[in-house]
Order: sequence, then C-alpha cells, then structure tokens
Amino acid sequence: MIENVPENPLNDGLRLEPAPGPTTLVIFGASGDLARRKLLPAIYNLSRRGRLPAHFAVIGVARTEMDDEAFRRQFRASLQEFAGLGKEQDQVAESLASRMFYISGEMDTPALYERLNAKLDEADGLEGVLFYLAIPPSAYAPVVEGLGAAGLSRAPAPRWRRVIVEKPFGVDLTSARALNHLAHQHFDEEQIYRIDHYLGKETVQNLLVFRFGNGMFEPVWNRRYIDHVQITAAETVGVEHRAAYYEGAGALRDMVQNHLMQVLSLVAMEPPIAFTAESVRDRKMDALLAIQPLVVDGDARGVVRAQYREGWVNGVEVPAYRTEKGVDPKSTTETFVAARLSLDNWRWAGVPFYVRTAKRLPKRTTEIAIQFKRPPLEIFRRASQSPVQPDLLIVNVQPDEGISLRFEAKLPGTRMQIAPVMMNFRYGTTFGGEVPEAYETLLLDAMLGDATLFARHDFVEASWALITPVLEAWKRLDEAALPAYEAGEWGPPKADELIERDHRRWRTL
Amino acid sequence: MSTPVPELLPGDEVPFAKISGAMTRGLCLDAGAMRALVATVVAVGPVDRLTDAVETLQRLGDAGTVRGILISEGNNPAPPARVAGNTVSLEGLKAPYVNNAVAALRLSSLPTLLWWRGGRLDTLDALADLADRVVLDEEEPFAAWRRATELVDTSAFSDLRWTRLTQWRALMAHFFDIPEVRAAAPDFTHLEIDATDRASATLFAAWLTSSIKFTKALAVEIVRDDDRLRGFDSPIRAIRLGDREQELRLRLAGTRTCVEAAVSVRGHRSASRIVSLGDESPAGLLTAELRIRARDLAFERAIRAITPAEGQPPTR
Repeated sequence: MIENVPENPLNDGLRLEPAPGPTTLVIFGASGDLARRKLLPAIYNLSRRGRLPAHFAVIGVARTEMDDEAFRRQFRASLQEFAGLGKEQDQVAESLASRMFYISGEMDTPALYERLNAKLDEADGLEGVLFYLAIPPSAYAPVVEGLGAAGLSRAPAPRWRRVIVEKPFGVDLTSARALNHLAHQHFDEEQIYRIDHYLGKETVQNLLVFRFGNGMFEPVWNRRYIDHVQITAAETVGVEHRAAYYEGAGALRDMVQNHLMQVLSLVAMEPPIAFTAESVRDRKMDALLAIQPLVVDGDARGVVRAQYREGWVNGVEVPAYRTEKGVDPKSTTETFVAARLSLDNWRWAGVPFYVRTAKRLPKRTTEIAIQFKRPPLEIFRRASQSPVQPDLLIVNVQPDEGISLRFEAKLPGTRMQIAPVMMNFRYGTTFGGEVPEAYETLLLDAMLGDATLFARHDFVEASWALITPVLEAWKRLDEAALPAYEAGEWGPPKADELIERDHRRWRTL
Repeated sequence: MSTPVPELLPGDEVPFAKISGAMTRGLCLDAGAMRALVATVVAVGPVDRLTDAVETLQRLGDAGTVRGILISEGNNPAPPARVAGNTVSLEGLKAPYVNNAVAALRLSSLPTLLWWRGGRLDTLDALADLADRVVLDEEEPFAAWRRATELVDTSAFSDLRWTRLTQWRALMAHFFDIPEVRAAAPDFTHLEIDATDRASATLFAAWLTSSIKFTKALAVEIVRDDDRLRGFDSPIRAIRLGDREQELRLRLAGTRTCVEAAVSVRGHRSASRIVSLGDESPAGLLTAELRIRARDLAFERAIRAITPAEGQPPTR
C-alpha cells in the first residue's frame, strides 16, 4: 500500500464524471433475458463512453452450461440485437469481451461460490465486487446465503461488496420482510441496491431538479394550487413471454407497488435538506407513509382492476389475456389497475392522486400530469365561447422524455377568445448528445456507491403494506367480480366511474 | 474591403431589424411547435472558415434548440442578412459592429457561446465581453490563447482542440487514479506525443506539465510525421509518458475512433482498455461545450503554461 500519495492532480477540471474504482460485476442469471436485453448493452455503452474503471471485469453466473468464450459470444450477440451493433468487429466490445468470464452451476451449491471466489481472484477482481441478482425471486435466498457463507458478502475497506436486487422485492408484505431479513443477515443495508429502472430515467430524476432546482414551481406545488395528480403507465404490449411471472404478479404487483409508488413519492415528497441518498429517501418515505389505506372495512373501493379481452392494438388483432400462451384460461390476474390515493399531510390534504397502469392500451406512454386549479374567478366566461381549461403540467417519462406545460392564451383577433396552448421541452433534442439508458445510470451509480436512485428496505415494506390488503381483498372476490376491457381501449367503465365520482376525468392521452 | 463571397446560407435575405421575427417564424414552421431553447451559438471567422460552420450550426439548429449566428468580418456596415431556420448569416460586417450585431441578435436570458474561428483580436475582446463562453477554434491558435489568458476573468474560455482532447485527458487521468502511478509520476522523464496537429500536442503537454510537479527534467517530444499520420482525423495518434521503469501509453486503436490505454511496467504490458473517442464532429464538440457553464481552470492553466516562444510547453 502506497501512503501519503496526493490526490490525482489530473482529475482537477476533468470534464468527464469520475469513473468508479476497480470493479468486478458478477451477474447471477447471466444467460437470462434481462442480462441480454439490458445489462450487457448497458455495460457496453458505459465502456464506450469511458465510464467504466480501468480495472473492470464481468463474471457471468447461471445454471446454463457455457464457457467463457460462449458467454462472450452471447455478449456480442446481445449487442447486435439490443445495442444496434453491426456484425463487424467493434473494438470496445472486443476489449470488454476479453474481460468477461463465466461460471455455471446450481445456485444452492457451495461449490459454485468457491469457484466464484477463485474466479474473482484469477480476474484480479477482489477490490470492488458488485453482485447483480438478475434471477427469479425464488433464487434470491440461496444466492444471498451462498455469498454470505462463502465470505463474499463482506470485505474490509477500502474493498467493497454491493448487491443489486431486481424487482420483485417479494410478493407481499410478509415475503418482502422475509427477503429483507435474509439480505440483512449477510449484507448491511448500505450494501443493498434494490433497483427500480424507472428511477434511472432522466425525466424521473429531473423531477427533483424541476421541483427543487427552480424557485417558481415549489410555491405552487401544494393543495392550494393543485387540483389533482394523474400518473399513467400505459403499455400496448400484452403479457408476451412473461406469462409465468405475470400470472403470479399482475399489474398491481408488477407496476404499482414499485414503479408508480416511486414516481408518486417523488412528486409528493417534501424538499430534502441535501441531495444525498438518505435525505432524498427519507423524504420519499415520508410521502409514502402519508398515503391513506386503500382498503377500508375490507373493501378496496378506491382501486379498480380489470383484465383485457381480445381487441385491436397498433393495427393488429390481439388475443384475450386468458388465451395468451402460458396463461391459465380461468386466470383472474389483473392487467389493468386504477387507484385513487389520498395523502394526509399538510401539503396534499384533499388532493387526490389517481394512478392507472395496464397492458394492451391504445398507446404506450408513461406520464405524470399535475392539474392545477382553475382561476378563482372566471372573468372570461362571458367573452369566450369555450370554458377556460385548467393549467396542466405534464412530465413525460416515456417514450418522449420531457416536460410540457398547457396554459390558456388569447387567440389573435378582435374578439376575446381563449384557447389552450402547449409548451414542450424534450430531452431527446434539447441538449444534444445521447440520453443514457436507465440501466446505465443505475449500474454506474451502484459502482460509485450512490444509492439515491435505489429503493430502501423501509420504502419497499411500506409500499407492500399499502398494496397487500388490496391483494387480500381481491382474493376474497369471485371471478365474476373481475371486469374486462377490450384490448386497445382505455380500460373498463369502472375506472371512469372511479374518477368521475370526484367530478373529474382521466386525461385524454 | 469586403471579400466577395458565395452566400453562406441558402435562406432568404432579410432586413436586419426583422431577423428575430423571421427566425421565430421559421422555427415554428420547421419544428411544428416552438421547442425549449438553450443557447445562442455565434460563429465568427473568415468566410472560408465559416463555410463548414454553416452545416454545424444548422445541425445544432435543426433540433430547434439553438439560435445560430454566422458573422464574417469585412467593411460593410450593413451587409445583407440571410435567414434559414434558426440560423442567420451576416457576411462582411464591418469589424467594430460585430459585437453590436451579436448583442442585437442573441437570445435573451440564455447563454451565448462564441465559436471563434479567427479574426481580429480586438473583435475577440469585444465579443468575449458579450459571451458567456468562448470556444476558440483557430488554425494557428497561439495568439488567441495568449489573448485568452488576459480575458479569462471576463468570460469562460475553451478551445475545440481542448474539447477534442477530453477523452485523451480522461484516460491519462485514469492512470493517475492508481496510487503507484501518482507516486512515481514526479520522476517521469519523458513525454512523447505523435501528432498531426502540433497545437493539440502542445496543449496536451502543457496540461500535464501544469498539473504535475515533475521533479526531473521532462523531455517533451512532439513527433509530427505527416506522411505516416495521413488519414488520421484525430489530432493525436499516440502519447507515451514515463521513465525507464514504466510507461503510460495511449494510442489510437485500429479504427481510429477509439483510444487504447495501457500501462507497461519493466516491459510487461498490463491489460489494456479501449474507449470510444465519441462524437468528434464540430457539432458534437460544441454540444459538449454547451453543457459546461463554469470556467475551465485546467484549460486556463494549460494555455498559461505555453510559453510565448511559439507555443512550446516548458520542459523542466
């Protein structure tokens, strides 16, 4: 160890953000879909941009029998399929491939972890190790226990060990608590990074900047000026190849418990005292805890579920959920959820938050819409033929990341006529350059030890505490109580009734 | 005497007072709806160096987020202005009025970036006063660099050569994340740079010598072999820094779009890494510059370290 060496003088004024220290990324589930579609392309893009450390290696772990070379071929193939690379040799990819290794084995056998330890040593990769659990939840326990038993979960500073856990973090409150308990037996909370890829999206991060980096929005961000909030995550796709998982999950577990609760907490949170992981996550937690129970006296009246039947989406006829491959013909899994949430705190009392998410809707879009109150006095009511529309702030999360503001303007002319206009800010074009994929941002943050954009154990449990009673209430209902909606339409009539009870409407998307 | 030039922009001729209105209309028609604007980019230089700047500014302006202003100096107090989309050109404008034109045409409340491609240094002085950021881009930059050292308190300065060196500097800096390298660096004895562009090599060397306190005489050698380097777009081909024991090496990888970094200790070469140089087009480089607001103190130190005797960095 070299002592008393001054800081790196060349980092002073360097424009690139600092790369993490030496890191070995160990991907459990390396032969799986997530690794191929998201993780390997994200690693390649980080490498291409020089964001990976000089000492970096990847060790893939999975049950599939494969050697290092086959894993490297899979890496190249995934780049061609999901990162837009051609078949010609790419030097960044080749350089990265030379530092990729693979070991196969059963996740519950100690021998696997002994070999992993040896491989880490062989790859000179023991400084910083980031374990990525891209595996089904049923495999979490053996892997976490295997890492702990092999002494791989801890290392004396400055070495570090971290673990990224993919959703779902449990299937209900009990299982989430059990999972957290198990993880905490082998890892400290500071070592655990529960990934929610929504938090890696630029617009979601920009919510913090938009709210707390500007002086003009926060004063109106409350019950005095905001009428209500709508958060929509609409997909056009059906269950696709995920039937085995989705049948046991449904829209409430798959989207609401994690992504939408995270987004909602960012919209509703109080200002943190600093942009640090704990401060931001504390305030998000406060917001979540302010949400009132969704089930009262056993009745989940504020939550609507439904399942899509056959219909027409994106120009093609699509089958009903129950006839999709791998789906039980009598399935009662919900593919649509809409909910009305109330936050009882000083800022939001009386301002409903409506959330909806579904598969097989007419349009793919995720957005947060903040609808402001109308002016207290409608002085243009007589002069204008059309009523004044309330101002609307829309945060587009995907596909066109950006922010739009709708407000009223006078139409040119001698008469006083009013019409809504929309001002748009688009991430993709405004600043130039590439917008990083969510997984790139989150992988890099985990390597750098920044947990701001990851879910903390108490948030996960508090979210499940809200959702689990709904699941239990639904379980008590019979199959006939599950409404259907036509694929390609915006959900069942009951979802409209949910919001119309408050004399409001879902936004036209 | 104003130089007769081909029209830089294919757009409509517009009276000066109506330029802003024409650009706003053009943007609305082109983009369908006004988008969020981020900056004004002003390109100033001789006409022959503005011809290729047109494409760059239009590429930036196509996104609808940047207003582009092209100005060549001349003797005409009222040259015709041409507008295409969100870009305007003024060809042969009388030098003392260049800053007035920029003051009138730049977007209010948003940063102004000056892309300085050459001209009278008096004009640079006046424009630096208006610009939030000056990005130098002269063919022979040493005089402008010297002037920039006197103006850095007025405006933030950079140079497209410096931007182009970003990845090279980052990779060199990564070497110095290793404590052993930092400990050994003051005793390094040689720096060799293979370059097609002497100014870039000089700037890189000046950055190193102004950042690291070398205790021994560092022999700086800039190799220019135009025949050997012909066809390389990158201004630098390879950099070697070290002593007899160890050497830090950066070199363009085969495709010339990536840099390979490797450490060699007593002849033993460590595993290398390869990083993309990124978008090295002027538009890509200016986009990178548009993201920066603060003064670049490392650049300022580097250009101060270049001696007046024609840009040779000090060898100690």
